Amino acid sequence: MEENNSASESSHVSPEEAAIKLIDGLQTAVIQVLTTMAMEDVKYTGREEVANLTLRQEVGGLIRLYGGASEGMVGLASSRTVVAEIVSRIVGLPPDSLDQEDLLDGIAELANMVCGSMKSKAQVGYQVSLSPPVAIIGRDYTARWKTLNPTWVLKFLIDGSEFEVYASF
Amino acid sequence: MRVLIVDDSSVMRKIVTRGLRQAGFSIDEILEAGDGVQALEVLKGAEVDLILSDWNMPNMDGLTFVKEYRKLGQTPIVMVTTEGGESKVQEAVACGANGHIKKPFTPETLKNTLGKFFT
Repeated sequence: MEENNSASESSHVSPEEAAIKLIDGLQTAVIQVLTTMAMEDVKYTGREEVANLTLRQEVGGLIRLYGGASEGMVGLASSRTVVAEIVSRIVGLPPDSLDQEDLLDGIAELANMVCGSMKSKAQVGYQVSLSPPVAIIGRDYTARWKTLNPTWVLKFLIDGSEFEVYASF
Repeated sequence: MRVLIVDDSSVMRKIVTRGLRQAGFSIDEILEAGDGVQALEVLKGAEVDLILSDWNMPNMDGLTFVKEYRKLGQTPIVMVTTEGGESKVQEAVACGANGHIKKPFTPETLKNTLGKFFT
């Protein structure tokens, strides 16, 4: 589901600069993917540094980045209702007709498209690879990635509902 | 026109199907496969006019599928990929793919990229 970057990228940047480029790229990518594929009304409401990358919402999608100076993780998280609405819009089926498999596939595909788009926009100057996505659905789980990297949460509103994107680079 | 969509994500197969309909293409039948191995099985028993294939799939990935299918047939194959994979796309074209579409895409993108295969 993912591809390597092209060789025609910009010159090398430090890991800190790369992290900033990736975070900025991620912010743009989330809006682009959701507006293009789901025609959602998406508003970016800000970002904050958090202690660790921990997904607690009902539906989550995780992708690991590796290669060059980048070692990181991106996690999408939102309520089942919001994710069902997004997946419903991108596949053109009513939300109540979607089953668990559709939601798992949907959040995985969203994570894949967002990270692919982020990578392309960030142009960090070296090859970054993406792992296959991990998708999670459930009410009582905590998914945590232990890392010393700084972690941010980017916050969005989709038709008024929260949609969070965690990034640790 | 008969189109084969090869992708391990059922949601992405639905997205592509919907996009093709929204682009206004006249399609008689859409066939689906979850990976390259399944796609080769489908193609043994059915003729199609266009193949749209994902890249990373279990069992047999998109590039291997292109290479294997080109030993059997010449139906156009368009890769549907995430952004940032230009070098791999070039590799796929060298192996026999006829083009690529980046995700996320709009029906307009599909129309512009795939229109020549529907004439």
